[in-house]
Amino acid sequence: MENTIKINVENLNLYYGKKQALNSISLGIQRNTVTALIGPSGCGKSTFLRSLNRMNDLIDGVRIEGNVFLEDRNIYDGDTDVVELRKRIGMIFQKSNPFPKSIYDNIAYGPRINGVKAKNELDEIVERSLVRSALWEEVKDDLHKSGLSLSGGQQQRLCIARALAVDPEVLLMDEPASALDPLSTSKIEDLIFELKNNYTIVIVTHNMQQASRVSDITAFFYMGDLIEVSGTKKMFTTPDNKKTEEYISGRFG
Amino acid sequence: MQEHYNIEIEDLKKSLMRMAALVDEQIERAMKALRDNDIEVIKGIKAKDLEIDAYDNLIQTQCENVLALFQPVASDLRFILASIMINNNLERCGDIAVNIAQRVKKLTGNHQLLVESNLVEMAASARQMVKDAIDSFIGRDSQLARKVLQSDDVVDNLNREAFKYALSKMESENILIEPCAHLIVLSRQVERLADHATNIAENLIFYVEAEQVTHKKKLAKRESI
Repeated sequence: MENTIKINVENLNLYYGKKQALNSISLGIQRNTVTALIGPSGCGKSTFLRSLNRMNDLIDGVRIEGNVFLEDRNIYDGDTDVVELRKRIGMIFQKSNPFPKSIYDNIAYGPRINGVKAKNELDEIVERSLVRSALWEEVKDDLHKSGLSLSGGQQQRLCIARALAVDPEVLLMDEPASALDPLSTSKIEDLIFELKNNYTIVIVTHNMQQASRVSDITAFFYMGDLIEVSGTKKMFTTPDNKKTEEYISGRFG
Repeated sequence: MQEHYNIEIEDLKKSLMRMAALVDEQIERAMKALRDNDIEVIKGIKAKDLEIDAYDNLIQTQCENVLALFQPVASDLRFILASIMINNNLERCGDIAVNIAQRVKKLTGNHQLLVESNLVEMAASARQMVKDAIDSFIGRDSQLARKVLQSDDVVDNLNREAFKYALSKMESENILIEPCAHLIVLSRQVERLADHATNIAENLIFYVEAEQVTHKKKLAKRESI
């Protein structure tokens, strides 16, 4: 099992002011798998997700202890280039947030910032990203239309394409389908399944069926603790912890 | 949502209990006829089986509804899966009670064959297995269920003995060929009853302990070859 861990979290403690939100979390996230983070509201799962690409740095009063290794580098080392880090670890949010620009420019934005200027190269990145996010066929003739003119599900896939355009290694998804209708949700889930061949994916979801459908590994958080982590099949059939069973069976949360 | 779910599960449990009670009654009647050569007791047994069939359909629908509406997981899911299987086995037990009653009727003039072939003893064992299997389900008692599994071999052996006994009787006395043919079928029915009790017990263990014990012995044997 050598070299299967993409992100290794060691004893991660996170405080919002005096309140501790994550209690000594240790978790190895395996490469090319989908890891689902589940748990009731306020359990720390989104906080944990955001700490994987240092999004919590932007919040006042947050203090973090512990290590998060992306391969062999601790991302919390003082000399980490956070912009470079977020290029390697992309993020998709619950609410799709395309820029008020064309579909093309939404995707070309990141590569342009990173110095890609040649039109043919940008064209190629835009097409490849849209193909990978399963949106190409629907928008290939309308690339200069506004990203905001797309449907909710298409906008979310556009955001995924935008994240893919800078060639990340990891995708963090914070409830990526919770605002979408069942058909769009199903497309996003198919996409996640497809993307794991090339990316490591961590997804926060409130939808238990979604976690069980798309993930290989499930981690259950409760009150800032990581209660249980195991293969998703085991988690949803014979979890080890009573609290996990109560949560996935809808007994609380 | 949770409350709504609990109501559905309680309704399903009630249906299963009522069905199990009906099946138990039917088997008791068939067994009394077999043991005491009393065919009065089996009057109306076939009509009563229709009630069991109606529960079979009802329980299947209840399980389908719970799966479709609540998507249960873990032990909740195992309960529904076990309920579907146990329902199926209970329904088969009901059918077998009717079959046993019909065979016993045909053997009323030769009841001594049932005694001599140890079929009465075998039927008592199978009857106890069904009773224990049902009790284990009602009480979620996997220890009792494991006791049922152990009893199956006893019934299988008695079935083989009864078969041999019937064959030897058929060879020695022509007049006993027909009753002994009925005896063999009857013995097979009783043996099937024990098999269904075993299935019920296995499903209870799956539900309570999350362990699949079905076919375990046979598969282990194959692996060791």
